[in-house]
Amino acid sequence: MRRNELALLPKLPLLITESAEEFDALRDAFEQEIKPRGIIEQMYVHDICSIVWEVVRLRRCKVVIINSAFRSALEELLQRLLRDPGQFLYDEQLKEQAQDLAHAWFTDAEAKKQVSETLSRFNLDESAIEGEAIRRSSADLELLDRMLTSLESRRNKALVCVAEYRANLAHRLRESADRIIDGKGVLRLEHPSSKGPTAA
Amino acid sequence: MASERQIAANRRNARKSTGPRSGAGSKRASRNAYRHGLTLSITSTAAFAKQRDKLARKIAGNTDDAITLECALQIAQAELELARVRRAKFALIERASAFGELDPPQLTAAGFIRLLNAVLRDRDIESIDASATMPSQEPDRSAEAVRRVLPELRQLDRYERRAAAQRDRAVLNLSVGACSASLMANSPHIHQATLARAQVVSGSEQHRPRLRGAPASSDPQGTKK
Repeated sequence: MRRNELALLPKLPLLITESAEEFDALRDAFEQEIKPRGIIEQMYVHDICSIVWEVVRLRRCKVVIINSAFRSALEELLQRLLRDPGQFLYDEQLKEQAQDLAHAWFTDAEAKKQVSETLSRFNLDESAIEGEAIRRSSADLELLDRMLTSLESRRNKALVCVAEYRANLAHRLRESADRIIDGKGVLRLEHPSSKGPTAA
Repeated sequence: MASERQIAANRRNARKSTGPRSGAGSKRASRNAYRHGLTLSITSTAAFAKQRDKLARKIAGNTDDAITLECALQIAQAELELARVRRAKFALIERASAFGELDPPQLTAAGFIRLLNAVLRDRDIESIDASATMPSQEPDRSAEAVRRVLPELRQLDRYERRAAAQRDRAVLNLSVGACSASLMANSPHIHQATLARAQVVSGSEQHRPRLRGAPASSDPQGTKK
């Protein structure tokens, strides 16, 4: 039954880095939580799952964007911190020194130590690099945040819709059941007290 | 105020700019506003219409009630449109991942001069390959592809939200039976807020498709016999 319903719903296309098994596992987890009944609830579960999948994708992208801005952020920071008083900021030698040190920071422990020392001279630590990386990618991060906000609000709305759909279905079923019970075709049990006054 | 000569010149000039004249020109101009085609209805293709009808039948169940079928059809259509936008988003990311950018590189004046010099001096032509600027390893490559198409993804998000809202409205109509007066009469205890929302949206006649073979329900309130 569930397989038939799922076959009717359009599949979410996955990127080559994404695993179909992981997506199925996520959907199974949601199905266990929500326990969808019928195609409409199944549709909402599929939608919620797709939204969550996209949220995870965008969050992963956010981390990569910040990480990939690290090198240029460190270069920029070192260029400012390594500059001697009176030295031209765009000095080619200074620029090369900053580039080399920033490149070595990712692989060389000695370079990492040198960067830490340079930063601590100005009461800074490695979070300054992170801050600069975030600042440099703020335009992209802002767009990503807007998309994430939009997706999260849609996910919440889908959850509300499932709840409303269930509540309305339950009311309709109760009404139908009441009508059948109150109907003429059904035998009614009479309460002993409703037979009228009895002699004491 | 314009002189007689100026007015005559304006009229002569206006006659020159009357838009495309040839058939091919008109055809091309008719697609000026075309960007991604997501505002087009999916029912324009037979395959989509078939898929939509199949899904709508599953949603409606065994009922032959025209109003229920209509609501089911709206839900199916919105669901497939939602999937279409998602596929478009996926295609953009994949394209950026493969080529590094969405549009082919445009030849600038400086680029043209460089190209001309290279040809004249019989040197190898150096082309800037956008895909070479992409990270070679995953998941960095996919993340960079997402970053490069973020403005386009943001635009598509609008269409996705619209399709989802249409589906939610149709589900609401189906579940509270806002299309059907009789159903509403039989369910007086339906959540008040839901009922109010349903009453607001039930007036909307837009995007109301018809299931092939199903009777048209020109009378959603069921007043005609």
